Amino acid sequence: MPVIEVDNLVKRYDDVAVVDDVSFTVAKGEIFAILGTNGAGKTTTVESIAGLRQPDGGRISVLGLDPHHDAAEMKERLGVQLQESSLPDRIKVWEALDLYSSFYRNPAHWPDLLDQLGLTEKRETKYAELSGGQKQRLSTALALVGNPEIAILDELTTGLDPQARRDTWALVEQQRDRGVTIVLVTHFMEEAERLADRVALIDSGRLVALDTPAGLVSRADDEQRIRFRPSAPIDESELAALPEVTGVNRVGEQIVVTGVGNVLHSVTSYMARNQVIAYELRVEQVTLDDAFVALTGKTFQNPDNSEI
Amino acid sequence: MSALTKLTTVEGKLFAREPLAMFWGLIFPALLLVALGVFFPGFDTPSADLGGFRMIDLYAPIILGLALATLAFATLPAILATYRERGILRRLQTTPVSPWRLVAAQLIIQMVMAGLSAALAIAVGVAVFDIPVPQNLLGFVLVYILAAVSMLAIGLLIGAVAPTVSSGQGIGMAVYFPMLFFAGVYFPREAMSDGLLAVSDLTPTGAGVQALQDTWSGLAPSTSSLLVMAAFAIGAGVLAALTFRWE
Repeated sequence: MPVIEVDNLVKRYDDVAVVDDVSFTVAKGEIFAILGTNGAGKTTTVESIAGLRQPDGGRISVLGLDPHHDAAEMKERLGVQLQESSLPDRIKVWEALDLYSSFYRNPAHWPDLLDQLGLTEKRETKYAELSGGQKQRLSTALALVGNPEIAILDELTTGLDPQARRDTWALVEQQRDRGVTIVLVTHFMEEAERLADRVALIDSGRLVALDTPAGLVSRADDEQRIRFRPSAPIDESELAALPEVTGVNRVGEQIVVTGVGNVLHSVTSYMARNQVIAYELRVEQVTLDDAFVALTGKTFQNPDNSEI
Repeated sequence: MSALTKLTTVEGKLFAREPLAMFWGLIFPALLLVALGVFFPGFDTPSADLGGFRMIDLYAPIILGLALATLAFATLPAILATYRERGILRRLQTTPVSPWRLVAAQLIIQMVMAGLSAALAIAVGVAVFDIPVPQNLLGFVLVYILAAVSMLAIGLLIGAVAPTVSSGQGIGMAVYFPMLFFAGVYFPREAMSDGLLAVSDLTPTGAGVQALQDTWSGLAPSTSSLLVMAAFAIGAGVLAALTFRWE
């Protein structure tokens, strides 16, 4: 049963469509990732779902409600974590949670959220004195404090250290296990691959692909890369002549063979016939990164990697 | 607790944690009154030119006008612009609570601060310089509230339209200093020329100070001063409501 339906969503700024005819549905209880580069239109899409933007075209339904006409009821049941929204400098962590929990009919027990996000010892700390990662986690807690049926989390692990990121991922999975539907906006491949049931790939305002992470990977390309160091010199042109092989390269002592289908079998058979052993043999799987490149023709840039 | 009560409590705490805002909004008016009385010779001796009043008696209502102007034109627009620029209003927009409630909570806090600041200044005036308490007390309180509402409405309008924190402060200051002038902070309205006085009568601070002075001495406020303040309160308030941007 879909809890979010987006039909032919269009949003323009100054006649430029930043979201261009995007349609998808999100099923109850799934973790749905919206993946794309900066400026792809991810945030505008979720802001439209959250009722913060008036679409220029198309239709959105959230829990059967219209994000504009039924805004109050929808916001009661939809938690949102936005980028570029903060809190007053001098508000304390507990005050923010206590305040936001008063906005909802059936709020969560916020000390538990603090605990799950590792912020309990920061209870009395003022917002301005929190680290970037702590602010981010507080923001996640605020999105969940209303006990929402759907949580939209925009870039929830940006700026987090690896441990805090794993804690946040665990919290997201825990929310999903409680039946909360999660819409995750991210430009972290790893995050989408690790958490998402389905991934919507958005590029230049358009939905490029919508599939499970594994489905996206297989759809992108079935090319494999095999790396090894041969125990004796081998004839690269003979390798290249094998039917499944599409390319052979030498990198130092290593041979890198790319190929399709049953390429691994044909390479190892060839080696066995010639009594050459393949040391340090590695078969590289196509990742979501590769899928992204294949589907959009762009390299995936992760500006936040530098912060980690 | 309702969302508005909670918002107001939290906004009150936040205000109390801003030492500068507390100083200028709460303590400075009383301090200025003391400073004027102590450092300016003749400030607390009756003068025939002033109809037997002392300068300090004239300045007490002016200082209350200054207290209101500081909160309304300096403090409020800066807070609202900060809340917008930092995405605090936008964050509220994602909850079932309208960001208007935060604005309402801010206005309540500013009204409370205005009340405390006036009470402190009057108490200090009475204790140190033996100024009389407002003789038409009910009228005085109502006039003070109307003056506060009219100025806060203007502050709200500045906060509504200022795109950034610095422009909010800039516009606020551009309104603040002329408003102080027309309130009589630099020289009292009694010393203004007829033309200047006529302009001052049409400003919320000038009209406010006049009405405060009238009720302080036991008179009724003039209808024209009430109308001027009401006009600003409604006009600026409606404009602010129509133009307020959350991001």
